[in-house]
Amino acid sequence: MAFKLDYFARETMVSLRRNLVMTLAGILTVAVSLFLFGGVVLLSRMVDHGTARWKEGVELEVFFVPTATQQQIDDVQQELKDSPNVKKFRFISKKEALDLFKRFFADQPELVEAVDPDTLPPSFRVVPKDPELTETIAVQFRGRPGVDEVLTAQEQVRRMLHAISWIRRLFFAISGVLLLSSFFLIVNTIRLATYARRREIQIMKLVGATNWFIRIPFMLEGLVQGAAGAGLAFGAVYVLQQILSDLVVRSEGVFRSFFITTGDAVGIGLWVLVIGGVVGVAGSAIGLRRFLDV
Amino acid sequence: MITLEHVTKTYKSDVVALRDVSIEIKKGEFVFLVGPSGSGKSTFLRLLLREDLPDTGRILVAGRDVARLSTWKVPYLRRNMGTVFQDFKLLPGKTVYENVAFALEVIGRPRHVIESQVPQILELVGLAEKSQRFDYELSGGEQQRVSIARAFVNRPLILLADEPTGNLDPATAEGIMRLLDRINRTGTTVVMATHDEGIVNTMRRRVVELDRGLVVRDQARGVYGLPA
Repeated sequence: MAFKLDYFARETMVSLRRNLVMTLAGILTVAVSLFLFGGVVLLSRMVDHGTARWKEGVELEVFFVPTATQQQIDDVQQELKDSPNVKKFRFISKKEALDLFKRFFADQPELVEAVDPDTLPPSFRVVPKDPELTETIAVQFRGRPGVDEVLTAQEQVRRMLHAISWIRRLFFAISGVLLLSSFFLIVNTIRLATYARRREIQIMKLVGATNWFIRIPFMLEGLVQGAAGAGLAFGAVYVLQQILSDLVVRSEGVFRSFFITTGDAVGIGLWVLVIGGVVGVAGSAIGLRRFLDV
Repeated sequence: MITLEHVTKTYKSDVVALRDVSIEIKKGEFVFLVGPSGSGKSTFLRLLLREDLPDTGRILVAGRDVARLSTWKVPYLRRNMGTVFQDFKLLPGKTVYENVAFALEVIGRPRHVIESQVPQILELVGLAEKSQRFDYELSGGEQQRVSIARAFVNRPLILLADEPTGNLDPATAEGIMRLLDRINRTGTTVVMATHDEGIVNTMRRRVVELDRGLVVRDQARGVYGLPA
């Protein structure tokens, strides 16, 4: 078997070198399309982090001081229940706050380790009947005993979310088109490679080489292209994450919550690698479909 | 070794390549397939290799029902058959040794088998001295010897040859025929399609004549054409 691996590796390399220009074109388009894809997912992840609390119509969050008494919390709860402006609300206990904290900072265990659950504030997430009523409700609870602050989703955040969702769709579409073209490039490269080697393939069939034996070097060729492109994209996504992370850390106010972790980048990178590999192998499989006709 | 029972093969629905052909070739026989171009000789060989399937009839090669063989078993069928062509079909840019070794390599034979068998077969075909030559450094006859070495290196039960002397001058062709005869004497069944009257008449082996897809003659120790 060691000998066969040797054979496959050698044949794959020969073929990659023979079609160098096509190979590079394939790798680069895979890289660009997957970088776009990875970058968009990364940005989406940032937005998700930054806006997690503003999902499902939640427009404001009432934070207590960590030392708030149960009585103070119950009072606020009663008032929320009675308020005609409030559609619904949910209580986030200290424990839940800790869970959320742990989830956000999963890749920074030392930070999670250091946090004392008692220092995390409990809160209410509130959905108003109408987003216009947000400020009215906020004013009602600001300065209450035990209430630390009331955070509202600002208009600019909402506008940004709207814009981002459009940008996201646009970039997904572009990366989809590019991915498709890289797929066809790989199909074409493999087809050219089989054409260049049709005599060899014909002889291999005549002397009784199995179809898999004939296919494997070409499949590896496709896989190498897809994976190499994905590897480049992975690296680029990682660099992008570092840059964005740096920007976020140095930014002020609401943007602080749009953090992005190395874990996010690695997770996306793994997806990028899988997609790149699949595109490469699928492309070569399609490119090989006609090789039986030789 | 090879049995055809009522085999008919039609191309594109109107060109009949073989018409109800029944024939039996025993192990160790040497058979010439003769007949004009388009008489069905190549189709006959293609069917044995399962490059094509018959419309009707049964084909047995080395005990296997060729037409009913599943696709993934076809390579194993072909390992029992060596094939030689008029145009040699050598791989350009590879040496004599590499061309022959390739046939063993791609069916997954281990290196030590290749290293012992290739020199042996090159000795048999008389090319031991030229194993490091490239295809373009060889004469036509030498190239055909390489292709025979490649076909026979795996010691197949059957050797199929499609006009192996078609591109060669008579003296060179004679050398190739001596080689095929020698391979036949090792017990290998040889089926050779040819137009070469001189060779058929000299060898006096079994002759099967095809004409427009029909077997019109099957003669032991035959000649190319019956005297008019």
